[in-house]
Amino acid sequence: MIEVSRLSKTYGALKALDDVSFAMGRGEVAGLLGPNGAGKTTTMRILTTFLAPSSGRAVLDGRDVIDRPLEVRRKVGYLPENVPLYPETRVGEFLRFRAKLKDVPRGRRRRAIAEAVSRCGLGDVEDRTIGRLSRGFRQRVGLADAVLADPPILILDEPTAGMDPIQVREVRALIRELGERHTVLLSTHVLSEVEAVCSRAVIIARGRIVLDGRLEDFQAAETIRVEARGPGEAIRRALAGLPGVAAARLEGERDGVAALDLTPAAAADPREAVSARLAADGWPLRTLERRRPSLEERFVAAVNRVDLDAMSREAG
Amino acid sequence: MRHALTIATRELASFFLGPTAYLVLLGFQVVAFLNFWELVESLARPQVEFSSLRDPMSAYVSGSTPFWFAILVAVPVLTMRLLAEENRSGTIETLATLPVTEAEIVVGKWLAGLAMYLALLVPFAIYLPFLYHQGRYPFDVGPLVSLGIGLTTMGMAFTAIGLFFSSLTRNQVVAAVWTFTALFVLVVMTLLVSYFPAARGWTGWADAARYVAVIHQIHECALGRLDLRVVVAHLSVCGFALYATAALLAARRGC
Repeated sequence: MIEVSRLSKTYGALKALDDVSFAMGRGEVAGLLGPNGAGKTTTMRILTTFLAPSSGRAVLDGRDVIDRPLEVRRKVGYLPENVPLYPETRVGEFLRFRAKLKDVPRGRRRRAIAEAVSRCGLGDVEDRTIGRLSRGFRQRVGLADAVLADPPILILDEPTAGMDPIQVREVRALIRELGERHTVLLSTHVLSEVEAVCSRAVIIARGRIVLDGRLEDFQAAETIRVEARGPGEAIRRALAGLPGVAAARLEGERDGVAALDLTPAAAADPREAVSARLAADGWPLRTLERRRPSLEERFVAAVNRVDLDAMSREAG
Repeated sequence: MRHALTIATRELASFFLGPTAYLVLLGFQVVAFLNFWELVESLARPQVEFSSLRDPMSAYVSGSTPFWFAILVAVPVLTMRLLAEENRSGTIETLATLPVTEAEIVVGKWLAGLAMYLALLVPFAIYLPFLYHQGRYPFDVGPLVSLGIGLTTMGMAFTAIGLFFSSLTRNQVVAAVWTFTALFVLVVMTLLVSYFPAARGWTGWADAARYVAVIHQIHECALGRLDLRVVVAHLSVCGFALYATAALLAARRGC
Protein backbone atom coordinates (compact mmCIF):
# COMPACT_ATOMS: atom_id res chain seq x y z
CA MET A 1 0.00 0.00 0.00
CA ILE A 2 2.81 2.39 0.85
CA GLU A 3 6.16 2.11 -0.85
CA VAL A 4 8.86 4.59 -0.01
CA SER A 5 12.22 4.27 -1.68
CA ARG A 6 15.32 6.38 -1.10
CA LEU A 7 13.31 9.39 -0.02
CA SER A 8 15.26 12.54 0.83
CA LYS A 9 14.17 16.03 1.73
CA THR A 10 16.42 19.00 2.26
CA TYR A 11 15.42 22.40 3.59
CA GLY A 12 18.28 24.59 2.42
CA ALA A 13 21.35 23.17 4.15
CA LEU A 14 19.32 21.02 6.54
CA LYS A 15 18.82 17.41 5.59
CA ALA A 16 15.47 16.50 7.09
CA LEU A 17 15.21 13.09 5.45
CA ASP A 18 18.15 11.09 4.21
CA ASP A 19 17.61 8.06 2.01
CA VAL A 20 14.54 6.67 3.75
CA SER A 21 13.01 3.46 2.43
CA PHE A 22 10.24 1.29 3.78
CA ALA A 23 7.13 -0.51 2.59
CA MET A 24 3.80 -1.26 4.19
CA GLY A 25 1.25 -3.85 3.20
CA ARG A 26 -2.53 -3.72 3.27
CA GLY A 27 -4.04 -3.73 6.74
CA GLU A 28 -0.76 -3.09 8.50
CA VAL A 29 -0.60 -0.70 11.45
CA ALA A 30 2.85 0.83 11.74
CA GLY A 31 4.21 3.29 14.26
CA LEU A 32 6.70 5.88 13.11
CA LEU A 33 8.88 6.63 16.11
CA GLY A 34 11.62 9.11 16.66
CA PRO A 35 12.88 12.00 18.73
CA ASN A 36 11.66 15.52 17.97
CA GLY A 37 12.99 16.77 14.66
CA ALA A 38 13.83 13.28 13.44
CA GLY A 39 11.78 13.66 10.27
CA LYS A 40 8.47 12.02 11.21
CA THR A 41 6.27 14.93 10.21
CA THR A 42 8.30 15.56 7.06
CA THR A 43 7.81 11.92 6.03
CA MET A 44 4.07 12.16 6.60
CA ARG A 45 3.81 15.47 4.75
CA ILE A 46 5.53 13.93 1.75
CA LEU A 47 3.22 10.90 1.82
CA THR A 48 0.17 13.16 1.96
CA THR A 49 1.52 15.30 -0.92
CA PHE A 50 1.73 18.42 1.23
CA LEU A 51 5.47 18.55 0.56
CA ALA A 52 7.38 17.24 -2.42
CA PRO A 53 10.48 15.12 -1.80
CA SER A 54 13.87 16.46 -2.88
CA SER A 55 14.68 13.05 -4.29
CA GLY A 56 13.37 9.51 -4.13
CA ARG A 57 9.94 8.06 -4.71
CA ALA A 58 6.84 7.52 -2.64
CA VAL A 59 4.03 5.41 -4.05
CA LEU A 60 0.68 4.99 -2.28
CA ASP A 61 -1.74 2.37 -3.56
CA GLY A 62 0.14 2.34 -6.85
CA ARG A 63 0.11 6.10 -7.33
CA ASP A 64 3.16 8.32 -7.16
CA VAL A 65 2.93 11.38 -4.92
CA ILE A 66 4.55 13.63 -7.51
CA ASP A 67 2.93 12.38 -10.70
CA ARG A 68 -0.62 11.86 -9.44
CA PRO A 69 -1.05 13.87 -6.24
CA LEU A 70 -4.83 14.25 -6.55
CA GLU A 71 -5.36 10.48 -6.74
CA VAL A 72 -3.04 9.95 -3.76
CA ARG A 73 -5.04 12.50 -1.76
CA ARG A 74 -8.23 10.59 -2.53
CA LYS A 75 -6.69 7.43 -1.03
CA VAL A 76 -5.35 9.02 2.14
CA GLY A 77 -7.03 10.24 5.30
CA TYR A 78 -4.67 12.60 7.08
CA LEU A 79 -4.62 13.90 10.63
CA PRO A 80 -1.92 16.60 10.75
CA GLU A 81 0.11 17.40 13.84
CA ASN A 82 -1.74 19.72 16.28
CA VAL A 83 -5.02 19.12 14.40
CA PRO A 84 -5.61 22.43 12.60
CA LEU A 85 -9.37 23.10 12.37
CA TYR A 86 -11.61 26.12 11.74
CA PRO A 87 -12.47 27.29 15.27
CA GLU A 88 -15.58 29.24 14.22
CA THR A 89 -17.39 26.32 12.55
CA ARG A 90 -19.57 23.72 14.20
CA VAL A 91 -18.47 20.09 14.21
CA GLY A 92 -21.28 18.94 11.91
CA GLU A 93 -20.81 21.81 9.47
CA PHE A 94 -17.09 21.16 9.36
CA LEU A 95 -17.57 17.48 8.54
CA ARG A 96 -20.16 18.32 5.86
CA PHE A 97 -17.70 20.79 4.30
CA ARG A 98 -14.90 18.24 4.34
CA ALA A 99 -17.13 15.47 2.96
CA LYS A 100 -18.06 17.67 -0.01
CA LEU A 101 -14.42 18.49 -0.75
CA LYS A 102 -13.52 14.82 -0.42
CA ASP A 103 -16.09 14.00 -3.11
CA VAL A 104 -18.20 11.75 -0.92
CA PRO A 105 -21.25 11.30 -3.19
CA ARG A 106 -24.28 13.35 -2.14
CA GLY A 107 -26.38 10.28 -1.38
CA ARG A 108 -23.79 8.73 0.89
CA ARG A 109 -22.67 11.93 2.59
CA ARG A 110 -25.15 11.93 5.45
CA ARG A 111 -24.41 8.31 6.31
CA ALA A 112 -20.64 8.76 6.03
CA ILE A 113 -20.78 11.70 8.43
CA ALA A 114 -23.03 9.88 10.88
CA GLU A 115 -20.68 6.91 10.82
CA ALA A 116 -17.56 9.02 11.41
CA VAL A 117 -19.34 10.88 14.23
CA SER A 118 -20.38 7.69 16.00
CA ARG A 119 -17.02 5.97 15.48
CA CYS A 120 -15.15 8.88 17.04
CA GLY A 121 -17.68 9.47 19.81
CA LEU A 122 -18.70 12.95 18.67
CA GLY A 123 -22.46 12.49 18.99
CA ASP A 124 -22.81 14.92 21.90
CA VAL A 125 -20.77 17.73 20.39
CA GLU A 126 -21.98 17.70 16.78
CA ASP A 127 -23.67 21.09 17.21
CA ARG A 128 -20.87 22.69 19.20
CA THR A 129 -18.38 25.21 17.88
CA ILE A 130 -14.97 23.61 17.34
CA GLY A 131 -13.14 26.46 19.06
CA ARG A 132 -14.93 25.69 22.32
CA LEU A 133 -14.09 21.99 22.37
CA SER A 134 -11.40 20.51 24.58
CA ARG A 135 -8.16 19.33 23.06
CA GLY A 136 -9.23 15.71 23.20
CA PHE A 137 -12.46 16.39 21.33
CA ARG A 138 -10.69 18.47 18.70
CA GLN A 139 -8.36 15.54 18.16
CA ARG A 140 -11.39 13.32 17.65
CA VAL A 141 -12.89 15.77 15.16
CA GLY A 142 -9.62 15.50 13.24
CA LEU A 143 -9.83 11.71 13.34
CA ALA A 144 -13.44 11.78 12.19
CA ASP A 145 -12.34 13.95 9.27
CA ALA A 146 -9.55 11.49 8.41
CA VAL A 147 -11.89 8.47 8.26
CA LEU A 148 -14.75 10.42 6.62
CA ALA A 149 -14.31 9.24 3.05
CA ASP A 150 -13.28 5.75 4.21
CA PRO A 151 -9.86 5.91 2.54
CA PRO A 152 -7.70 2.78 2.38
CA ILE A 153 -4.72 4.55 3.95
CA LEU A 154 -4.71 6.59 7.16
CA ILE A 155 -1.78 8.78 8.12
CA LEU A 156 -2.06 10.08 11.67
CA ASP A 157 0.51 12.49 13.09
CA GLU A 158 0.50 12.09 16.86
CA PRO A 159 -3.15 11.04 17.17
CA THR A 160 -3.20 10.90 20.98
CA ALA A 161 -1.22 14.05 21.80
CA GLY A 162 -2.88 16.14 24.49
CA MET A 163 -5.47 13.58 25.51
CA ASP A 164 -6.21 12.32 28.98
CA PRO A 165 -5.56 8.63 29.75
CA ILE A 166 -9.17 7.60 29.19
CA GLN A 167 -9.38 9.34 25.82
CA VAL A 168 -6.02 7.80 24.90
CA ARG A 169 -7.45 4.34 25.58
CA GLU A 170 -10.51 5.09 23.46
CA VAL A 171 -8.50 6.42 20.56
CA ARG A 172 -6.11 3.46 20.69
CA ALA A 173 -9.06 1.11 20.57
CA LEU A 174 -10.39 3.09 17.61
CA ILE A 175 -7.05 2.87 15.78
CA ARG A 176 -6.87 -0.88 16.40
CA GLU A 177 -10.36 -1.18 14.95
CA LEU A 178 -9.40 0.99 11.96
CA GLY A 179 -6.36 -1.21 11.41
CA GLU A 180 -8.65 -4.08 10.50
CA ARG A 181 -9.83 -2.30 7.36
CA HIS A 182 -7.24 0.38 6.68
CA THR A 183 -3.49 0.65 6.40
CA VAL A 184 -2.49 2.95 9.23
CA LEU A 185 0.76 4.86 9.65
CA LEU A 186 0.91 6.81 12.89
CA SER A 187 3.65 8.80 14.54
CA THR A 188 4.13 9.18 18.25
CA HIS A 189 6.57 9.88 21.04
CA VAL A 190 4.85 7.40 23.30
CA LEU A 191 6.50 4.02 22.94
CA SER A 192 3.83 2.16 24.86
CA GLU A 193 1.36 3.41 22.24
CA VAL A 194 3.23 1.54 19.53
CA GLU A 195 3.25 -1.57 21.68
CA ALA A 196 -0.48 -1.16 22.28
CA VAL A 197 -1.70 -0.62 18.72
CA CYS A 198 0.98 -1.31 16.12
CA SER A 199 2.16 -4.51 14.54
CA ARG A 200 5.26 -2.81 13.24
CA ALA A 201 7.67 -0.12 14.37
CA VAL A 202 9.80 2.13 12.19
CA ILE A 203 12.28 4.14 14.23
CA ILE A 204 13.69 7.21 12.59
CA ALA A 205 16.43 9.50 13.88
CA ARG A 206 18.26 12.38 12.21
CA GLY A 207 16.32 11.72 9.03
CA ARG A 208 17.34 8.07 8.72
CA ILE A 209 15.61 4.81 9.51
CA VAL A 210 17.54 3.18 12.31
CA LEU A 211 15.26 0.26 13.09
CA ASP A 212 12.37 -1.27 11.21
CA GLY A 213 10.67 -4.47 12.15
CA ARG A 214 7.62 -6.32 13.35
CA LEU A 215 6.85 -5.95 17.01
CA GLU A 216 6.58 -9.74 17.36
CA ASP A 217 10.15 -10.10 16.14
CA PHE A 218 11.30 -7.57 18.70
CA GLN A 219 9.52 -9.51 21.39
CA ALA A 220 10.87 -12.82 20.14
CA ALA A 221 14.37 -11.60 20.87
CA GLU A 222 14.04 -12.62 24.51
CA THR A 223 16.69 -13.99 26.84
CA ILE A 224 16.52 -15.95 30.08
CA ARG A 225 18.61 -14.71 32.96
CA VAL A 226 19.85 -17.47 35.29
CA GLU A 227 21.77 -16.96 38.52
CA ALA A 228 22.93 -20.04 40.45
CA ARG A 229 25.56 -20.82 43.11
CA GLY A 230 28.25 -23.04 41.62
CA PRO A 231 31.09 -23.23 39.07
CA GLY A 232 30.20 -20.91 36.17
CA GLU A 233 31.71 -22.81 33.27
CA ALA A 234 30.27 -26.16 34.40
CA ILE A 235 26.80 -24.65 34.74
CA ARG A 236 27.10 -23.06 31.31
CA ARG A 237 28.01 -26.37 29.68
CA ALA A 238 25.21 -28.21 31.45
CA LEU A 239 22.56 -25.65 30.47
CA ALA A 240 23.77 -25.27 26.88
CA GLY A 241 23.07 -28.95 26.38
CA LEU A 242 19.43 -28.70 27.39
CA PRO A 243 16.75 -29.06 24.73
CA GLY A 244 15.11 -25.69 24.03
CA VAL A 245 18.30 -23.73 24.72
CA ALA A 246 19.96 -22.37 21.61
CA ALA A 247 22.92 -20.73 23.33
CA ALA A 248 24.20 -20.02 26.81
CA ARG A 249 26.60 -17.24 27.75
CA LEU A 250 28.38 -16.70 31.05
CA GLU A 251 27.92 -13.11 32.04
CA GLY A 252 30.04 -13.18 35.20
CA GLU A 253 30.75 -14.79 38.56
CA ARG A 254 30.64 -13.00 41.89
CA ASP A 255 30.89 -14.49 45.40
CA GLY A 256 30.49 -17.96 43.96
CA VAL A 257 27.30 -17.05 42.11
CA ALA A 258 27.33 -17.44 38.34
CA ALA A 259 25.13 -15.28 36.12
CA LEU A 260 24.20 -16.59 32.69
CA ASP A 261 22.09 -15.43 29.75
CA LEU A 262 20.34 -18.15 27.78
CA THR A 263 18.91 -17.69 24.33
CA PRO A 264 15.93 -20.01 23.98
CA ALA A 265 15.31 -21.89 20.76
CA ALA A 266 12.39 -20.62 18.69
CA ALA A 267 9.08 -20.71 20.58
CA ALA A 268 10.59 -22.75 23.42
CA ASP A 269 10.39 -21.93 27.10
CA PRO A 270 13.20 -23.95 28.81
CA ARG A 271 12.73 -22.43 32.25
CA GLU A 272 11.38 -25.55 33.90
CA ALA A 273 14.07 -27.73 32.35
CA VAL A 274 16.71 -25.29 33.59
CA SER A 275 15.46 -25.36 37.15
CA ALA A 276 15.18 -29.17 37.14
CA ARG A 277 18.72 -29.56 35.78
CA LEU A 278 20.25 -27.16 38.32
CA ALA A 279 18.43 -28.91 41.16
CA ALA A 280 19.62 -32.31 39.89
CA ASP A 281 23.24 -31.12 39.89
CA GLY A 282 22.91 -29.48 43.33
CA TRP A 283 23.48 -25.91 42.18
CA PRO A 284 21.05 -23.71 44.15
CA LEU A 285 19.03 -21.46 41.85
CA ARG A 286 18.72 -17.76 42.78
CA THR A 287 17.19 -16.14 39.73
CA LEU A 288 15.28 -17.48 36.75
CA GLU A 289 13.73 -14.72 34.70
CA ARG A 290 12.51 -14.24 31.16
CA ARG A 291 13.69 -10.86 29.81
CA ARG A 292 12.46 -8.95 26.79
CA PRO A 293 14.37 -5.93 25.65
CA SER A 294 11.65 -3.30 25.78
CA LEU A 295 10.94 -1.20 22.73
CA GLU A 296 12.22 1.69 24.78
CA GLU A 297 15.64 0.07 25.28
CA ARG A 298 15.87 -0.64 21.58
CA PHE A 299 14.73 2.87 20.73
CA VAL A 300 17.29 4.50 23.01
CA ALA A 301 20.07 2.21 21.79
CA ALA A 302 19.26 2.83 18.13
CA VAL A 303 18.95 6.59 18.51
CA ASN A 304 22.16 6.80 20.54
CA ARG A 305 24.00 4.82 17.90
CA VAL A 306 22.94 7.32 15.25
CA ASP A 307 23.89 10.25 17.46
CA LEU A 308 27.35 8.76 18.09
CA ASP A 309 27.82 8.17 14.37
CA ALA A 310 26.86 11.75 13.63
CA MET A 311 29.22 13.06 16.28
CA SER A 312 32.15 11.01 15.03
CA ARG A 313 31.40 12.15 11.47
CA GLU A 314 31.42 15.77 12.60
CA ALA A 315 34.66 15.24 14.55
CA GLY A 316 36.44 13.43 11.72
CA MET B 1 -13.96 23.81 -10.24
CA ARG B 2 -16.99 22.40 -8.39
CA HIS B 3 -14.99 22.51 -5.16
CA ALA B 4 -14.45 26.24 -5.55
CA LEU B 5 -18.10 26.95 -4.71
CA THR B 6 -17.91 24.77 -1.58
CA ILE B 7 -14.83 26.64 -0.43
CA ALA B 8 -16.41 30.01 -1.24
CA THR B 9 -19.58 29.12 0.71
CA ARG B 10 -17.65 28.15 3.82
CA GLU B 11 -15.54 31.28 3.52
CA LEU B 12 -18.62 33.51 3.24
CA ALA B 13 -20.19 31.80 6.25
CA SER B 14 -17.08 32.42 8.32
CA PHE B 15 -17.14 36.12 7.33
CA PHE B 16 -20.48 36.34 9.06
CA LEU B 17 -19.41 34.27 12.07
CA GLY B 18 -17.04 37.09 13.01
CA PRO B 19 -17.62 40.82 13.39
CA THR B 20 -15.71 41.89 10.25
CA ALA B 21 -18.47 41.48 7.70
CA TYR B 22 -21.02 43.35 9.80
CA LEU B 23 -18.69 46.25 10.56
CA VAL B 24 -17.65 46.71 6.94
CA LEU B 25 -21.24 46.47 5.69
CA LEU B 26 -22.34 48.97 8.31
CA GLY B 27 -19.54 51.35 7.29
CA PHE B 28 -20.60 51.22 3.65
CA GLN B 29 -24.23 51.67 4.60
CA VAL B 30 -23.30 54.88 6.44
CA VAL B 31 -21.27 56.16 3.49
CA ALA B 32 -24.11 55.36 1.08
CA PHE B 33 -26.63 57.08 3.36
CA LEU B 34 -24.58 60.27 3.64
CA ASN B 35 -23.84 60.34 -0.08
CA PHE B 36 -27.48 59.85 -0.93
CA TRP B 37 -28.41 62.67 1.43
CA GLU B 38 -25.97 64.93 -0.38
CA LEU B 39 -27.24 63.74 -3.76
CA VAL B 40 -30.81 64.70 -2.87
CA GLU B 41 -29.64 68.07 -1.53
CA SER B 42 -27.64 68.87 -4.65
CA LEU B 43 -30.51 67.81 -6.91
CA ALA B 44 -32.77 70.25 -5.03
CA ARG B 45 -30.38 73.09 -5.83
CA PRO B 46 -30.84 74.68 -9.27
CA GLN B 47 -28.10 73.75 -11.74
CA VAL B 48 -26.20 76.85 -12.76
CA GLU B 49 -23.86 75.36 -15.29
CA PHE B 50 -23.26 71.93 -16.72
CA SER B 51 -20.03 70.22 -15.82
CA SER B 52 -19.24 66.56 -15.70
CA LEU B 53 -17.33 67.13 -12.47
CA ARG B 54 -20.41 68.54 -10.81
CA ASP B 55 -22.73 65.91 -12.18
CA PRO B 56 -24.68 64.88 -9.08
CA MET B 57 -25.03 61.26 -10.19
CA SER B 58 -21.32 60.71 -10.62
CA ALA B 59 -20.59 62.50 -7.35
CA TYR B 60 -22.90 60.00 -5.64
CA VAL B 61 -20.52 57.05 -5.98
CA SER B 62 -17.34 57.41 -7.95
CA GLY B 63 -16.71 61.10 -7.30
CA SER B 64 -17.04 60.91 -3.55
CA THR B 65 -13.98 60.84 -1.30
CA PRO B 66 -15.70 58.79 1.48
CA PHE B 67 -16.51 56.07 -1.06
CA TRP B 68 -12.89 55.68 -2.16
CA PHE B 69 -11.66 55.88 1.40
CA ALA B 70 -14.08 53.12 2.39
CA ILE B 71 -13.00 50.95 -0.56
CA LEU B 72 -9.32 51.36 0.34
CA VAL B 73 -10.05 50.21 3.88
CA ALA B 74 -12.70 47.57 3.17
CA VAL B 75 -10.96 45.53 0.47
CA PRO B 76 -7.83 44.81 2.56
CA VAL B 77 -10.01 44.03 5.58
CA LEU B 78 -12.09 41.55 3.57
CA THR B 79 -9.21 39.83 1.80
CA MET B 80 -6.55 39.77 4.52
CA ARG B 81 -8.01 36.73 6.24
CA LEU B 82 -8.58 34.54 3.20
CA LEU B 83 -5.26 32.67 3.04
CA ALA B 84 -3.18 34.28 5.80
CA GLU B 85 -5.45 32.77 8.45
CA GLU B 86 -5.11 29.31 6.85
CA ASN B 87 -1.33 29.76 6.87
CA ARG B 88 -1.34 30.85 10.51
CA SER B 89 -3.58 28.15 11.92
CA GLY B 90 -2.13 25.40 9.72
CA THR B 91 -5.50 24.54 8.17
CA ILE B 92 -3.81 25.08 4.80
CA GLU B 93 -2.31 21.64 5.43
CA THR B 94 -5.73 20.04 5.71
CA LEU B 95 -6.92 21.95 2.65
CA ALA B 96 -3.89 21.20 0.48
CA THR B 97 -4.06 17.47 1.20
CA LEU B 98 -7.64 17.16 -0.09
CA PRO B 99 -8.38 16.04 -3.64
CA VAL B 100 -8.67 19.72 -4.57
CA THR B 101 -6.39 21.64 -6.94
CA GLU B 102 -4.59 24.83 -6.01
CA ALA B 103 -6.65 26.67 -8.62
CA GLU B 104 -9.89 25.55 -6.94
CA ILE B 105 -8.68 26.78 -3.56
CA VAL B 106 -7.64 30.15 -5.00
CA VAL B 107 -10.80 30.66 -7.04
CA GLY B 108 -13.01 29.62 -4.11
CA LYS B 109 -11.34 32.10 -1.78
CA TRP B 110 -11.45 34.84 -4.41
CA LEU B 111 -15.14 34.25 -5.11
CA ALA B 112 -15.90 34.69 -1.41
CA GLY B 113 -13.95 37.96 -1.33
CA LEU B 114 -15.64 39.17 -4.51
CA ALA B 115 -19.13 38.33 -3.22
CA MET B 116 -18.44 40.34 -0.07
CA TYR B 117 -17.14 43.25 -2.16
CA LEU B 118 -20.25 43.23 -4.35
CA ALA B 119 -22.41 43.14 -1.23
CA LEU B 120 -20.76 46.40 -0.20
CA LEU B 121 -22.07 48.12 -3.33
CA VAL B 122 -25.67 47.06 -2.74
CA PRO B 123 -26.44 49.92 -0.28
CA PHE B 124 -25.61 52.43 -3.02
CA ALA B 125 -27.92 50.72 -5.46
CA ILE B 126 -30.96 50.28 -3.22
CA TYR B 127 -31.56 54.04 -2.89
CA LEU B 128 -31.76 54.66 -6.61
CA PRO B 129 -35.19 53.14 -7.36
CA PHE B 130 -36.64 55.43 -4.70
CA LEU B 131 -35.05 58.42 -6.38
CA TYR B 132 -36.44 57.35 -9.74
CA HIS B 133 -40.00 56.48 -8.70
CA GLN B 134 -40.63 58.40 -5.48
CA GLY B 135 -38.37 61.37 -6.20
CA ARG B 136 -39.44 61.42 -9.85
CA TYR B 137 -35.92 62.19 -10.97
CA PRO B 138 -35.57 60.50 -14.35
CA PHE B 139 -31.81 59.89 -14.34
CA ASP B 140 -30.07 58.10 -17.16
CA VAL B 141 -29.63 54.38 -16.46
CA GLY B 142 -26.89 53.80 -19.05
CA PRO B 143 -24.04 55.49 -17.20
CA LEU B 144 -25.06 53.66 -14.02
CA VAL B 145 -24.79 50.30 -15.77
CA SER B 146 -21.42 51.28 -17.14
CA LEU B 147 -20.37 52.38 -13.64
CA GLY B 148 -21.55 49.04 -12.26
CA ILE B 149 -19.47 47.14 -14.79
CA GLY B 150 -16.43 49.27 -14.04
CA LEU B 151 -16.79 48.87 -10.30
CA THR B 152 -17.28 45.10 -10.66
CA THR B 153 -14.18 44.52 -12.77
CA MET B 154 -12.24 46.84 -10.48
CA GLY B 155 -13.42 44.78 -7.50
CA MET B 156 -12.38 41.56 -9.24
CA ALA B 157 -8.87 42.94 -9.64
CA PHE B 158 -8.72 44.41 -6.13
CA THR B 159 -9.86 41.24 -4.36
CA ALA B 160 -7.39 39.19 -6.43
CA ILE B 161 -4.59 41.54 -5.36
CA GLY B 162 -5.71 41.22 -1.73
CA LEU B 163 -5.80 37.43 -2.00
CA PHE B 164 -2.30 37.41 -3.46
CA PHE B 165 -0.87 39.36 -0.53
CA SER B 166 -2.86 37.22 1.88
CA SER B 167 -1.17 34.09 0.52
CA LEU B 168 2.30 35.54 1.11
CA THR B 169 2.08 35.76 4.87
CA ARG B 170 0.65 34.16 7.97
CA ASN B 171 -0.04 37.55 9.52
CA GLN B 172 -3.34 39.17 8.55
CA VAL B 173 -2.15 42.66 9.41
CA VAL B 174 0.85 42.35 7.12
CA ALA B 175 -1.45 41.17 4.32
CA ALA B 176 -3.81 44.11 4.92
CA VAL B 177 -0.99 46.67 4.90
CA TRP B 178 0.46 45.33 1.65
CA THR B 179 -2.95 45.27 0.01
CA PHE B 180 -3.76 48.77 1.21
CA THR B 181 -0.45 50.05 -0.13
CA ALA B 182 -0.95 48.41 -3.51
CA LEU B 183 -4.51 49.69 -3.85
CA PHE B 184 -3.50 53.15 -2.62
CA VAL B 185 -0.87 53.34 -5.35
CA LEU B 186 -3.42 52.25 -7.95
CA VAL B 187 -6.17 54.57 -6.78
CA VAL B 188 -4.47 57.71 -5.53
CA MET B 189 -0.78 57.81 -6.24
CA THR B 190 -1.06 57.37 -9.97
CA LEU B 191 -3.40 60.33 -10.01
CA LEU B 192 -0.93 62.47 -8.07
CA VAL B 193 2.01 61.30 -10.16
CA SER B 194 0.25 62.27 -13.35
CA TYR B 195 0.35 65.94 -12.32
CA PHE B 196 4.10 66.16 -11.80
CA PRO B 197 5.22 64.92 -15.24
CA ALA B 198 2.56 67.09 -16.80
CA ALA B 199 4.01 70.17 -15.11
CA ARG B 200 7.47 69.31 -16.45
CA GLY B 201 6.24 68.61 -19.92
CA TRP B 202 6.57 64.78 -19.84
CA THR B 203 3.17 64.34 -21.38
CA GLY B 204 3.73 60.69 -22.33
CA TRP B 205 4.32 59.66 -18.74
CA ALA B 206 1.42 61.78 -17.58
CA ASP B 207 -0.94 60.03 -19.99
CA ALA B 208 0.33 56.63 -18.94
CA ALA B 209 -0.15 57.41 -15.25
CA ARG B 210 -3.63 58.82 -15.85
CA TYR B 211 -4.56 55.71 -17.78
CA VAL B 212 -3.54 53.50 -14.83
CA ALA B 213 -5.23 55.72 -12.23
CA VAL B 214 -8.25 53.73 -11.09
CA ILE B 215 -10.21 56.81 -9.96
CA HIS B 216 -9.88 58.20 -13.44
CA GLN B 217 -11.00 54.94 -15.06
CA ILE B 218 -14.05 54.67 -12.84
CA HIS B 219 -14.94 58.31 -13.36
CA GLU B 220 -14.98 57.71 -17.09
CA CYS B 221 -17.27 54.72 -16.53
CA ALA B 222 -19.57 56.86 -14.38
CA LEU B 223 -19.91 59.31 -17.23
CA GLY B 224 -21.07 56.49 -19.45
CA ARG B 225 -17.84 56.12 -21.39
CA LEU B 226 -17.22 52.43 -20.85
CA ASP B 227 -13.74 51.82 -22.18
CA LEU B 228 -13.19 48.14 -22.98
CA ARG B 229 -9.45 48.64 -22.56
CA VAL B 230 -10.10 49.44 -18.92
CA VAL B 231 -12.22 46.33 -18.46
CA VAL B 232 -9.52 44.21 -20.08
CA ALA B 233 -6.86 45.81 -17.88
CA HIS B 234 -8.85 45.01 -14.73
CA LEU B 235 -9.47 41.43 -15.84
CA SER B 236 -5.79 40.97 -16.73
CA VAL B 237 -4.66 42.16 -13.31
CA CYS B 238 -7.22 39.85 -11.73
CA GLY B 239 -6.16 36.85 -13.81
CA PHE B 240 -2.49 37.47 -13.21
CA ALA B 241 -2.92 37.87 -9.44
CA LEU B 242 -4.99 34.67 -9.21
CA TYR B 243 -2.47 32.77 -11.30
CA ALA B 244 0.40 34.05 -9.15
CA THR B 245 -1.44 33.01 -5.98
CA ALA B 246 -2.07 29.49 -7.28
CA ALA B 247 1.54 29.22 -8.42
CA LEU B 248 2.72 30.31 -4.97
CA LEU B 249 0.55 27.67 -3.29
CA ALA B 250 1.98 25.00 -5.58
CA ALA B 251 5.52 26.26 -5.00
CA ARG B 252 5.02 25.89 -1.26
CA ARG B 253 5.18 22.12 -1.84
CA GLY B 254 8.71 22.55 -3.08
CA CYS B 255 8.31 20.73 -6.39
